[in-house]
Amino acid sequence: MAMLSFEKKYRVRGGTLLGGDLFDFWFGPFYVGFFGVTTVFFTALGTLLIIYGAAIGPTWNIWQINIAPPDLKYGLGFAPLAEGGLWQLITICAVGAFGSWALRQAEISRKLGMGMHIPWAFSVAVLAYVTLVVIRPLLLGAWGHGFPYGIFSHLDWVSNVGYQYLHFHYNPAHMIAITFFFTNALALAMHGSLILSVTNPKKGEPVKTSEHENVFFRDFLGYSIGAIGIHRLGLFLALSAAFWSAVCIIISGPLWTKGWPEWWGWWLNLPIWR
Amino acid sequence: MTPLSKLGLAGVVLLATGCQFFATKDRDVVQKGYRGTAMEVNYVAATQASAMADLAKKLPPILPPITGDQPPGPSPWKNVQVLTDVSTGEFNRTMISMATWVAGGAGNCAYCHNLADLASDTFPDGKAIYTKAVARRMIQMTRNINTNWVDHVGNTGVTCYTCHMGKPLPNGLWFYTNENQILRHYLDGQGARVVSQTIAPSNANRSSVKQTEWTWALMISQSKSLGVNCTFCHNTRQFSSWEQAPAQRVTAYAGILMLRDLNTNYLAPLAGTYHPSRLGPMGDAPKAQCLTCHNGVYKPLYGLQMAKHYPALWGTRTDWTSPLPPKFTTPVAATAPVDTSAMPIDTAATAAPPATRMP
Repeated sequence: MAMLSFEKKYRVRGGTLLGGDLFDFWFGPFYVGFFGVTTVFFTALGTLLIIYGAAIGPTWNIWQINIAPPDLKYGLGFAPLAEGGLWQLITICAVGAFGSWALRQAEISRKLGMGMHIPWAFSVAVLAYVTLVVIRPLLLGAWGHGFPYGIFSHLDWVSNVGYQYLHFHYNPAHMIAITFFFTNALALAMHGSLILSVTNPKKGEPVKTSEHENVFFRDFLGYSIGAIGIHRLGLFLALSAAFWSAVCIIISGPLWTKGWPEWWGWWLNLPIWR
Repeated sequence: MTPLSKLGLAGVVLLATGCQFFATKDRDVVQKGYRGTAMEVNYVAATQASAMADLAKKLPPILPPITGDQPPGPSPWKNVQVLTDVSTGEFNRTMISMATWVAGGAGNCAYCHNLADLASDTFPDGKAIYTKAVARRMIQMTRNINTNWVDHVGNTGVTCYTCHMGKPLPNGLWFYTNENQILRHYLDGQGARVVSQTIAPSNANRSSVKQTEWTWALMISQSKSLGVNCTFCHNTRQFSSWEQAPAQRVTAYAGILMLRDLNTNYLAPLAGTYHPSRLGPMGDAPKAQCLTCHNGVYKPLYGLQMAKHYPALWGTRTDWTSPLPPKFTTPVAATAPVDTSAMPIDTAATAAPPATRMP
């Protein structure tokens, strides 16, 4: 397979966490490594299990295929394959694949001599998933508290979990998470429009520099966070959104079993206006 | 190890110990639907247990049944208008129980009776004993519930104690005010269903955010009355769908129809009977809602089968053991058999202000 001109520069040996030189090679353009192998293993097995689950299920409709977790009665034990056991195996595969991918990112970062920003950032997304299907079920005492694997079914799960607490928008951590998601979208929109603008100048004009970017935002908002700053801010906003999402669901059930509107009683009962 | 890896390790250790900390036995989650649908009801088991212990402490004992053959016959008591079909022994047992259930003590006959003449409907000074008239009507209401509203009360049934719990005034009584217009749903209000069937708003389609808030408030009042969450009665993927809803929603709907019957035919018409101090600011009689019987529990008195021990409250029903298959009939509230002929009801005083349609 042909190599792009700059690829050689990035094909650095060493930096592996496991396996030494054994898996330190490329498959076409893709670095393999020990964790590349485990990623492929877990991904292939998990996908096949999902297909098997669909085959023994009632439908091949892509929207309605549903791999549901076990009944609550099985607690933290294993369930029969067709009654949630598949969900348990697929969850193991998913956690294995996501974890392997993060560690493969770490190996590549070591090869390139760069920081661990990317694997840590990806790990926060994995943490949000693990929170939903492992940590919260552990805290509540049954795997049946995980969400089902299906396009519609997982949305129905989200709806019902929200209404178990009457009105999920009153969940304070949910509020914080939503605020981070929206702020993240705003920052990305502002940053993206700025870059598109400076790199697509009027015909005959040169591409604008970062000084131009700074001047625009100083005029527009009175402040420019700068070229590196916007990426630090973006990382912070994105990771905070995922982190607080994990918090908002982990406190629903293990810490608070009533409606979330009721939680705000402390606010209504402040001695100032009580 | 880099500081970042140490942080990660610390996080894993914290999570592992956190599992031990939070995985307490006192949380109880009841699965109500197919696995993975999150159709669940959450309880704090410890709270439920202490509430049940409190109830058991104040629950009056069930009086021993009347033994011996006492066929119903001419009663030695005069002016008996409702309890004409029970033996004298059962009559007395019921009276004593009612004093405990409603008037705060077995000996408090004077709450409803002229002690100089128990048969009298008036005090020695000639004034009407409104409590006695109301109590009579309430026995008829209780019999109506136990006979005609099995869809809602099942084999549990109700007694005076279900609502009164030892007090003259049950919890959750409501009157006409601006704030609780939603409770008119339990009397003459309609229109909880707010899912729009057409695109544009019109006189025929008045679904709106505001109307949705009314319905939400009504639903939350039911949720608080029963101590349950939305998924106790609904699959929230489609709130309006009966096909996807748990069976409890059928029971709850029967309860709404029952409340309309009770409020329309029994409670509201008593406005002219009560002492004025018992009436609301607009002169209407106190009316019931879910909270009145449920008191924060999804089965009143945690499902204690009290009624089956008190035949005087049964009406025409006699079977308290056969399992009741869940069914969905829609009884028409207005046609429920009610005998008002014997009751001192001033129908003129029951004219209610018109229920404003939910905007």
